[in-house]
Amino acid sequence: MNGCAMTAACWFQPLLLLLLAPLIQGCARKLKACLQNRTGASVLQPYWDLLKNLRKEEVLSETASPVMRAAPYAAFSATFLACFLVPVLFTASPLGFAGDMIALVYLLALPRFFMALAGLDAGSAFGGMGSSREMMISSAAEPALVMVLFSAAVRAGSTGASETAAALAAGGPSVLGPGLALGFIALFLVALAECGRLPVDNPATHLELTMVHEAMILEHSGRSLALLELASSLKLTLFLTLLANLFIPWGMAGGTEPGAAALSAVAFLLKLGALVVTLSVVETSTAKLRLFRVPDFLGIAFVLALLGLLSEGILRLGL
Amino acid sequence: MVDPELQTVPRDRLAAACRTLAGRTGSRLASVVVTDERSFSDAFTIHYVFSLPKDHRYACVAADLPGKDPCFASLTPFVPGASLFEREAREFFGLVPLGHPDPRPLLLHELWPQGTHPLRRDFKAPALPAASPSAAYAFQRVGGEGVFEIPVGPVHAGIIEPGHFRFSVAGEPIINLELRLGWVHKGIEKHAEGRNLPEALRLAERVSGDASFSHGLAFCQAAERIAGAQVPPRARWLRAVFGELERLYNHLGDIAGIATDVGFPFGAAQMLLLRERVLQRNGALCGHRLLRGVLRPGGVVMDLSGPAAAELKAFLARLLADFTEVERLYLETDSLMDRVEGTGAVSKRVAEDLGAVGPAARASGVDEDLRRDQPYAAYAELGVQAQVREEGDVAARMLVKAAEFRESVSLISRALDLMPEGPCSAELGAPPSGSALGWAESPRGEVLHWLALDAQGRVSRLKVKSPSFSNWPLLNWAVQGNIVPDFPLINKSFNLSYSGNDR
Repeated sequence: MNGCAMTAACWFQPLLLLLLAPLIQGCARKLKACLQNRTGASVLQPYWDLLKNLRKEEVLSETASPVMRAAPYAAFSATFLACFLVPVLFTASPLGFAGDMIALVYLLALPRFFMALAGLDAGSAFGGMGSSREMMISSAAEPALVMVLFSAAVRAGSTGASETAAALAAGGPSVLGPGLALGFIALFLVALAECGRLPVDNPATHLELTMVHEAMILEHSGRSLALLELASSLKLTLFLTLLANLFIPWGMAGGTEPGAAALSAVAFLLKLGALVVTLSVVETSTAKLRLFRVPDFLGIAFVLALLGLLSEGILRLGL
Repeated sequence: MVDPELQTVPRDRLAAACRTLAGRTGSRLASVVVTDERSFSDAFTIHYVFSLPKDHRYACVAADLPGKDPCFASLTPFVPGASLFEREAREFFGLVPLGHPDPRPLLLHELWPQGTHPLRRDFKAPALPAASPSAAYAFQRVGGEGVFEIPVGPVHAGIIEPGHFRFSVAGEPIINLELRLGWVHKGIEKHAEGRNLPEALRLAERVSGDASFSHGLAFCQAAERIAGAQVPPRARWLRAVFGELERLYNHLGDIAGIATDVGFPFGAAQMLLLRERVLQRNGALCGHRLLRGVLRPGGVVMDLSGPAAAELKAFLARLLADFTEVERLYLETDSLMDRVEGTGAVSKRVAEDLGAVGPAARASGVDEDLRRDQPYAAYAELGVQAQVREEGDVAARMLVKAAEFRESVSLISRALDLMPEGPCSAELGAPPSGSALGWAESPRGEVLHWLALDAQGRVSRLKVKSPSFSNWPLLNWAVQGNIVPDFPLINKSFNLSYSGNDR
């Protein structure tokens, strides 16, 4: 297999995530609807919503500065860039040489920074509320996320996402350990908070006063809204991909042989499907937390991640 | 005047007489009714209606206020629950409550020309909007470092009625909340003037959609009291059945709303399914899901046949079994119960001082239920247990409604068994002129209609007091010490009607 095909295949991965993102969101919504005895919209609805919003005129608040206009582009491009750092079907990622998982954390923080600014910028009371809540949540979510990624990195001996995924995929049964399970649960909890899912934030609410993510983007419309929606569904897909590839490390292809690649694609889609089902069931079976309980919730994620890290340390490094 | 007991006093003794009544145990100011009598006696008459549940009656103090100088001593400094009623009297009749602490308008917004009082008999509809809008409404300001105002509404992100909420917050905790309502003022009381009873009944049913039957019932009972008519026994029993059917679907919807607002749509969907079944049953029984058009002055327009009653009983048994299952889902979902317990607590003292009614008052330990204390329809024979809790929080309001749901199912089943045979309507004939009070315990609490008829049997004054009008001020107290994201949940636990408040 020549390097050229490998490179092309690698570059195809972020694009795959981008194309899949609305479908993942549509599937999660459809599943939740079914679990709630509703019919729900088609799983393709997010695509139509995106197309609709892209065609629509954009209305901007009179008090808005260029920050408001720039935020959707910044948020989307940073999220999309983050996709270039993670392995999807193959253990290699297109920009894996340029940034490791720490860079990934910061690339995910960048959209939040811009969206929080835009929320304040629009001059509506809800935007400011959303921004302040998002900052509160992320200040608890980020340490937990870093800790989870470290626990995976310790197992592989590298903070690079590709190396970690490769080491895990190659490691066979020896990667199994308490750290894997603890890390998986911790990252799942962080994903719920980071992606604005129940029980931290309710993506389907119409109550302005309880919103977090929705409150920040309340003033956006048209193309800006489309980009922000796409960015947030991409973020969800990215987190599910991390869960699938760092903590369920089976079936990933090391090279680009057609057979291995096909197997890897099937395994990836199966894992994503299972994660979406889990997400929907969790979201259906729990009510939203009181806002001030969210730090406790993320504290649990942090402690689990820390325990995972320690157990890895004890098992692998003999500390 | 047939009912309630009326005591007419001179203007300067009005406040004193009211304070005497207000000081009696369990006494609650239920309504303040103003009538414009200037064409007969050159005076306005103001009636303070008190509910005396311990004596099983309403009592009323009235005074004439001269048309040229319609001022009176405000009762608000002594009875906080009088505040909104007196502001309403000032706005709609131009009366002057001396010593009232709040000079702001209540329901008529800035675009109404100043000095227009729509419920005066000589009122001519002005051109709206006014040439010079009155000064902007002055919200209470909270100063201090880090205190922000959050204006919410009147247009909301969801499909709900319009209301404006002004929060003063320091971070997330709420320091102060002010409401501004009146966005759906329809002038129903004015529209009712000059109409005959059937027409006015149709209007009364439209005060608040989900309490159509209760409002209609209160209206009919007032009309029947004026006419001195006896309603046939079967009609009284049927009225109790329909009244409880209304309570069933309302309480199911209210409990579902709690689940929606804590982000537990699974539980909400299950409860809404039950509500829909009740609504469909209502539609099948009488042709209207919200039970409109069932009532007429003198009885009800339709009977329940034997098979229909048996079917209804079987339906209720299935409904209760399903409800028990869904209720258990609610009680066993810790994340839901954690959100509702301790949230939005209202003390008994606040509920009593503000004159709260219905399940909201009962959840705060106020042991009042019109169906038991001042029975109408067939409730005296049925015997109602009032469902009371002490905590006063969102959970208590939810649990009171759940308990009332069970009580309603059992009331309907008993009524279907015990209902006597006979006609279900009597002719009212030409009613004499006069006035009377009609009441009903709607799902939200006390509905009070003051009806006055002229010599032609036409409505000369209809004063509607909805339970929402009594309970909205509770919300300001319920949110104290809570955080902004819990407000929608607290609001939903009261589930008050904007339309009923604004009329």
